[in-house]
Amino acid sequence: MAEIAEPAGTSAATSSTTGEKNNSDVPDFDPKTMRKTKPGLKRLFLTFTVFFSFLLGLPFLLKSIEIYRSPLPFRDIDSLSNSIDSTPLLFPCRFHAVFVNFDASTEFTADELGFSIVSHMQKFTGSDQNCGTCGSNYTVSVTLDSDSGCVHNQNVGPAWRCGALKDSKLDENLKNDEDFDEYLESVLGGGCEGSLSNDGKVYTVVVVNRDEGVRAVVGKHRHGWIVGRILEAPMVEKVAEIFVKVFVNGGKEEGVIRSEFMPVGADGKVVLSFSLLNADPNDWIYDWDFQDIDDILLARIVEALSPLANISVESQVLYHTPKSSFAYWDEKQESYIFSTKDLPFFVNSNEWHLDTSIAADGRSKVLHFVVYVPSARECPLLLQLPHGETSMTNGFISPMWGGVVVWNPPGCLRDSENTGPLMHKILPQVQSLPRMIIMDEIGKQVTFSLEAAKLSQSNASQGNFDASAVSSRQARSLAEDAFYHPSIMSVSYYSFEHCFAVYSPFFLPVSLHVLLAVVREVKRYKQESEKYKAWKAKGR
Amino acid sequence: MPTSTRSEMVRLKLVLVLFILCFASTSTGKEKERIEEQFTEELLLRPLPDRKVLAHFHFDTRAPPTASYGRHHRIFPKAIYQLVHKFQVREMELSFTQGRWNYERWGGYDPIASSNVKPPGVELWAVFDVPQDQVDASWKNLTHTLSGLFCASVNYLESSTAYSAPDWSFREFSGNLRYGTLPREAICTENLTPWLKLLPCRDKAGLSGLMNRSSIYRGFYHSQRLHLTSGEFNSEAVNYGIMLEQTLTVVLEPNTLESGVTRSSGLALQPSWSLSSLFGRELGERCVLAKSSNVYVQLEGSLVSVLKNKWEETSAYEADTLSYEEGSLSNPSFELSVSPNRIIKEVNSLHPEGSSILYHYMMENYSDSKPFELEFKWKSPLVWSCPQAPLHASRFLMGSGNERGAIAISLQATKRSDDFLVADIDEKGCRLRVDVFQVVPWYVKVYYHTLKLFVDEKPQSQADIIEKMRVSPSEDKVSPGVMELILRLPCGVKSAAITLEFDKGFLHIDEYPPDANQGFDIPSAVVSFPDFQATTHFLEDNSSNESPLVSKMKERSSVLSYTEVLLVPLTTPDFSMPYNVITITCTVFALYFGSLLNALRKRVAEEERRLKSKAANKSGRVPLLLSKLLAKVRGRPWEPPQAASTSSSQISYKLIFKVILVAGIAAGWQYYHE
Repeated sequence: MAEIAEPAGTSAATSSTTGEKNNSDVPDFDPKTMRKTKPGLKRLFLTFTVFFSFLLGLPFLLKSIEIYRSPLPFRDIDSLSNSIDSTPLLFPCRFHAVFVNFDASTEFTADELGFSIVSHMQKFTGSDQNCGTCGSNYTVSVTLDSDSGCVHNQNVGPAWRCGALKDSKLDENLKNDEDFDEYLESVLGGGCEGSLSNDGKVYTVVVVNRDEGVRAVVGKHRHGWIVGRILEAPMVEKVAEIFVKVFVNGGKEEGVIRSEFMPVGADGKVVLSFSLLNADPNDWIYDWDFQDIDDILLARIVEALSPLANISVESQVLYHTPKSSFAYWDEKQESYIFSTKDLPFFVNSNEWHLDTSIAADGRSKVLHFVVYVPSARECPLLLQLPHGETSMTNGFISPMWGGVVVWNPPGCLRDSENTGPLMHKILPQVQSLPRMIIMDEIGKQVTFSLEAAKLSQSNASQGNFDASAVSSRQARSLAEDAFYHPSIMSVSYYSFEHCFAVYSPFFLPVSLHVLLAVVREVKRYKQESEKYKAWKAKGR
Repeated sequence: MPTSTRSEMVRLKLVLVLFILCFASTSTGKEKERIEEQFTEELLLRPLPDRKVLAHFHFDTRAPPTASYGRHHRIFPKAIYQLVHKFQVREMELSFTQGRWNYERWGGYDPIASSNVKPPGVELWAVFDVPQDQVDASWKNLTHTLSGLFCASVNYLESSTAYSAPDWSFREFSGNLRYGTLPREAICTENLTPWLKLLPCRDKAGLSGLMNRSSIYRGFYHSQRLHLTSGEFNSEAVNYGIMLEQTLTVVLEPNTLESGVTRSSGLALQPSWSLSSLFGRELGERCVLAKSSNVYVQLEGSLVSVLKNKWEETSAYEADTLSYEEGSLSNPSFELSVSPNRIIKEVNSLHPEGSSILYHYMMENYSDSKPFELEFKWKSPLVWSCPQAPLHASRFLMGSGNERGAIAISLQATKRSDDFLVADIDEKGCRLRVDVFQVVPWYVKVYYHTLKLFVDEKPQSQADIIEKMRVSPSEDKVSPGVMELILRLPCGVKSAAITLEFDKGFLHIDEYPPDANQGFDIPSAVVSFPDFQATTHFLEDNSSNESPLVSKMKERSSVLSYTEVLLVPLTTPDFSMPYNVITITCTVFALYFGSLLNALRKRVAEEERRLKSKAANKSGRVPLLLSKLLAKVRGRPWEPPQAASTSSSQISYKLIFKVILVAGIAAGWQYYHE
């Protein structure tokens, strides 16, 4: 020991031998409790070096068992969602009020009318800015069309053919609302198409001053009209009301657009699956000519909605598909009744093989439209609403799933149509896995999706609705691609115990050694320095 | 109710109401004559020589071409239509099989044996109507779709090591055909249910109502098959769009009580059976959507000739086959409880044994209240044998050990091969053509140059026997080895054998299946005899109204048989070995490190001193404990050594405390981890 020790150590080591000698010299020196030299620091230093190098190695160890996660733009995602929450998406709206047969010499000019409409509209909208409405992001243009010509306010409105309603046919047109609607469309629509296609559509209210009772009609195109003899002040209020309540809020009581009603699949695809169910083909078999339905009705809808979603249509006829809820015979109505509380059990998922689509790959959304033909045993089958009336429609919809209509064959005919209570939507629950590998590709998809979402937002606020729809579809599809990436599915979890199992055979025994050594050395050093202190105290 | 939903509803309502209007109007006024979708259901029952019964369900669904009919169907399954169109499938066959067809007992020459008998597990082949370079991609997507559709692991056929592209030996399509098998796939109800879903009546009505799961899976052989042919993409076939043929072939043993009865001749009487005793269910309502639903009972040619011989001894034959007794058919040998609607006889039989007979029952006359209860009762014991393929093919492994081995395919002449009538005769004399198609997974490395041929147990040169050969050697982890052969064997051949040597490869540790020690399967080889056509031509009075099953039997198809699946044991590593190595290495390192650290910390002088003082105290901890134990054993009161008594007891307390502490930590750790 002495050979390899440094001077301080030697003295410490020799002290014990000399201590014994001193024992005889100094009678009050007890070698068990005292020492004459300072305790050595060398071994303590060595064990601490090893200990700390272990601690220093720990980050490398953790690094080596780390799982690769591609950096995701979490902050951007947060800021985007925050910005959507704080400043709801507002669409630019353009309104146009046309006053026909008002003398230019009335108390209001076009500009004044414009201001008063805007102020009335602000009263109606209030301060709440719901997502998907116009908020305060609108412009109102006013045209005064009188005998003396047209006067516009400073917001240059869409082309209004002056004197368009001066025709002799006006009286005739006004008799029939539908005809007048079409006529207005031809007057307004023609001017709009070319120049304003990019800029969103203009909502128009035409006010015709005539000697008759006041009527306000909203047509099926983007315009309405008020006919009658009224004063300007209530009229302006009426116009503002139509703009806000009908055109902005879509005629709904509460102005919220329900965002969860988005039956578009993750990849922007929707499959409309039409099924005709013959509950018991032994009683009767009904068939439909779906090819014609597809060609005549659905093809146009699919075409019109193509920027929003990629819609495909498919049909099937299924047999031997009894419903799974119970219907009871009602003497008064002479029919079988099923009530709304039975609806969750109406769809018989064991027998109704509706989801037989291969065209709908993984994530596209399938909307089921089911026509149920009851068997002869339950033939006039009617839906009873909670308040005891039978449903006019004899059907119900289930949000995000589709709808079912019970069609009673003519043999047992009672009339039928549709309305429906709701079933609850089951929200997908997403769990977060802390030890999940995230590949670069996923990171890229997330980034692109975010970019597309931002683009969509900016397009929407500028009024480029078509472009906005396209990029929002893209954003959604990319986000879902990232979410359903196959690598996440397959290598989803790599357990921590796994790394521990590989490293523990080495690090467990070694760390025990190191820890024990540290504890022992520290203990010993304390003991020895106590001894030294005791000796010193004695010496003085 | 929220108004937003109302507006949606209104839209929905509108659409639905319009539909109702549309179809209500069209369903009545549908008189135009055009090719309609059609569905037929048929069941063929055939007594087998070894006291078993073959039941062969045949469902046929046809859709007219899309060009003329449109893409909406009322009977044809939507899933299959979409599948055909999505992957441009021209022809496809998927089969799920459990058990092995016994070619020797159950026959190998009839249409059912050669086109409906399949190798165990899953077999899938498909022909695509896409350019050559897209075929593989289509195949991969198709496997995934089928796997989802049929709840089976068909998707394992996606890997390029699992499928092959036979050139000419399997089917005549070249290039666009892909073939793959999964010999180990277990077949169960979960595969049958989606298969039944493709039928318009599922198993709610009709012949499929007989498919009682517990009885059909109890059988000796069970094969569920789906074959589809599409004329959608080639202009030649215009008369039909997609033909979907679903068959279920089961071999059942009737459970009989009187089976032990033997006649004076010493022969056991064949067990009598009825539909309800075979399937445990009655056949009630037919599927109303079916154009026709028929049940056939077939007596094979050899059985008919045996019957004929028997009856010639007793009485006139013609009178007996047609003797009806109060609504049942009865003759000295057997009795059918229900008299058939028709009796169809085979014509132009190529089989020398005789022509077979079909008893045809139409299901139109039966309903739930009046179920079809057919009983087949044997009256006298009979012995007959089924028609055999010219050669019986079997395959086995040779060699031992985990390093190398050899595959042998042996072809044994069957009884009937003496009277080959249709072998082709060329300048070399009478020759019998045999096609062999064999796929070997890559980890069985076959050396194709070691191919040896034996005819009548004498080695033959390859040039004499092999007419054509195509070999694509396996590539490690990329593709399996494929061998296609056309052999020309002399007509009088008694036996022939092909042997191939192979080395067993090593797999990466990840590539082993969970039960690696069970061994690895080599898929069945396909042996076909193109010179022999398995057709049974029945005399039909009205060819336009022919049932698909009968016309299927009429179709010319070459006799085909599958060999056994081989089980090759490969060297499997000790899967825990890597961890063991890690553990032992780490232990050695830890020991080294620990002792090094201790050596560095060692104080020699101090330790010497301590040893000395210990020697003065004499006894250590261990001897103390030992003496205690010894005292206990001896039964004497223990006398502690005087000096160390207090300290040693303290030490032992300390020790116990430490042991308890460690045990507590361990228990805590365990608890926390559970």
